[in-house]
Amino acid sequence: MAKAKETLIPRFEEPASSAPPSAAAASVVGISKRFGKASVLENISFDVGEGEVLVLLGASGSGKTTILRIIAGLEMPYTGKVILHGKDVTELPARERGVGVIFQSYALFPKMTVEKNIGYGLRIRKRKRKEIKETVNELLSLVQLEEHRKKYPSQLSGGQQQRVAIARTLAYKPEVLLFDEPFGALDTQTRVHLRREIRALLKKVNVPSIFITHDQEEALELGDRVAVLNVGHIEQIGTPFEIYNHPATEYVATFLGAANVLDAVIRQDFIEVGSAQIPAPTLDKAKFKPGDCVKIVFRPEDVSLHRGDLPRSTHPRLASAIIEEVAFVGAYERVRLIMEAGPDECKIDETSFLLTTETPDRKPSKSIIATRPKPEASTTQLHAGERVVVALTSFTVLPPQGSKGGN
Amino acid sequence: MRHVRGFDVARPLSIGMLVFMMLPLVFLPLASIFIFGTSNGLDKFWAALTAPEAIFALKLSMATSFWATVFNVIFGLFAAYVLSRYNFWGRNALIVTISLPTAIPTAVAGFALLLLWGPYGTLGRLLAPHGFQIMFTAWAIILANIFVTFPLAFGVIKPVFDTMSHSLEEASATIGATRWQTFWHVTLPSLRGAIVSGALLTFARAVGEFGSTILVSGNLAGRTQTAPLYIFAKFNEGQIEAANAIAIVLALFSFLIFSVLFFARDWLDVD
Repeated sequence: MAKAKETLIPRFEEPASSAPPSAAAASVVGISKRFGKASVLENISFDVGEGEVLVLLGASGSGKTTILRIIAGLEMPYTGKVILHGKDVTELPARERGVGVIFQSYALFPKMTVEKNIGYGLRIRKRKRKEIKETVNELLSLVQLEEHRKKYPSQLSGGQQQRVAIARTLAYKPEVLLFDEPFGALDTQTRVHLRREIRALLKKVNVPSIFITHDQEEALELGDRVAVLNVGHIEQIGTPFEIYNHPATEYVATFLGAANVLDAVIRQDFIEVGSAQIPAPTLDKAKFKPGDCVKIVFRPEDVSLHRGDLPRSTHPRLASAIIEEVAFVGAYERVRLIMEAGPDECKIDETSFLLTTETPDRKPSKSIIATRPKPEASTTQLHAGERVVVALTSFTVLPPQGSKGGN
Repeated sequence: MRHVRGFDVARPLSIGMLVFMMLPLVFLPLASIFIFGTSNGLDKFWAALTAPEAIFALKLSMATSFWATVFNVIFGLFAAYVLSRYNFWGRNALIVTISLPTAIPTAVAGFALLLLWGPYGTLGRLLAPHGFQIMFTAWAIILANIFVTFPLAFGVIKPVFDTMSHSLEEASATIGATRWQTFWHVTLPSLRGAIVSGALLTFARAVGEFGSTILVSGNLAGRTQTAPLYIFAKFNEGQIEAANAIAIVLALFSFLIFSVLFFARDWLDVD
């Protein structure tokens, strides 16, 4: 994935690397899939490193479940390969792949006790009774379900069932663990608690894992890396830090939490957003040419609001704006503003590109969402109707429209 | 007084009406078998019951019904598996065909079997020169029982298959099980309740079968006479007591099966 981003001000120390830690434990190479005539996956490729947790994040219909089922062997790809620990398993049936799938509903066997469920993989492999017993005991203590060993799945809570499901796959030492929206059926509190628990457990057993989810918060918290899917293709793969702070496309920017997206034009030494000229000395000259229509993306927390003029040394000024609404939303305050002079529709140079996915009559957005932490909100109170100056502490420039997907 | 709080006249009235309507239709006929059958003393009842022909008829009914049940449960399982797992052209037509035998009058069923397997029947004609005679033997009774109870086990098992989560079988496959292991360890245990009730239903129905049996068996006392045929034969001969003794046994037997079906359902489906 090309890192299409530019920042002026680095936020924090950036995590070391976005590459998989070591040799790939599991790889998907050029997978595509069709159901009848409808193409649901287009050329999907990624690696998962040993002990790494990769999250496939996407809305429903993005094809994430299909990817999981292809890796598990429950679905055949149209083209492409699935490689587990160096071995091409594309042609192997599910039962010969040795992957562990944790289904959304857990799919525990209802007529078997917890013990029997966990030992199932070893029983069908005709292991010795003693070995099965030892492994089951080990796993029961790993997932802390020793006192529930004789119970049936229907007698367990959702979280306990999930731990049984994980233990059941760990019993036969899976090549890779696949989690299909594992927290979908649980309430918010349990969900947050469980995903911490599971992340700790996965780090302990060190099995490479792939999660699929549509919940961006979950993806950021669980994943060592996150792949953002959009209608059958990967928009971006990176660490949670990268995809949140340096989204490669508008889709990624807006899918991962709130984001402001404004039209802008590249000029010789600066970026023009409406009447504002934002200096951008580090902009990659090879990627952005003067006259290019681009978009700048910034998070609500990257906006700073000022009454009156900006102090000289602070962040670049974006615009003056009128406050539409001030809302208290718990941990912070959210301010909605309308720019007084918003960006004009970007006039495309005839030669710059022909392929545009943009609807021609689209009006450029003028509204901005900003958030302010509590202390700032209480020292400088703002009210609807007030005029303020908007400055940016950080932003990302998306590559010219049409050069890459994203809508 | 109609509106006394907490008292609704419609309640005792409608319950009373229901019981009264069922009295001549169900309760009295059943009761009369027991009253009449034992009115001449238990000795006579016992003697009628233990007559060699009577014992033979009961045994033959049990045996032929047993084998028909075994066949139809296995067939029903297989058919339910195929028809709920695979979608193919003509699938619905097949489902209807399997269910058809319940709608066909039993005498017609027996007649149809005769036309096929009888000495001059389409297939029977080919088999007869080789010494194979199917009609008028116990085999004919089993065939007739299979035909008339054909969809019963299937009808109970198929809905359970349909509602069974597919992810259980997928989970089993990803864990490493073969299709057969999955069926044996995962699918079959979930079908336990359906299999038992399907079997009981089939058996109860087969034991009582009359219309088709009388046509295909030849009704030979001590050779191909089942319990219902025995009742009919003895009644025709004017031996009411002999007929009545067997009727009591068959009635008690069906009570037993339906109580098991009724009370054991929950027990069979416990997770």
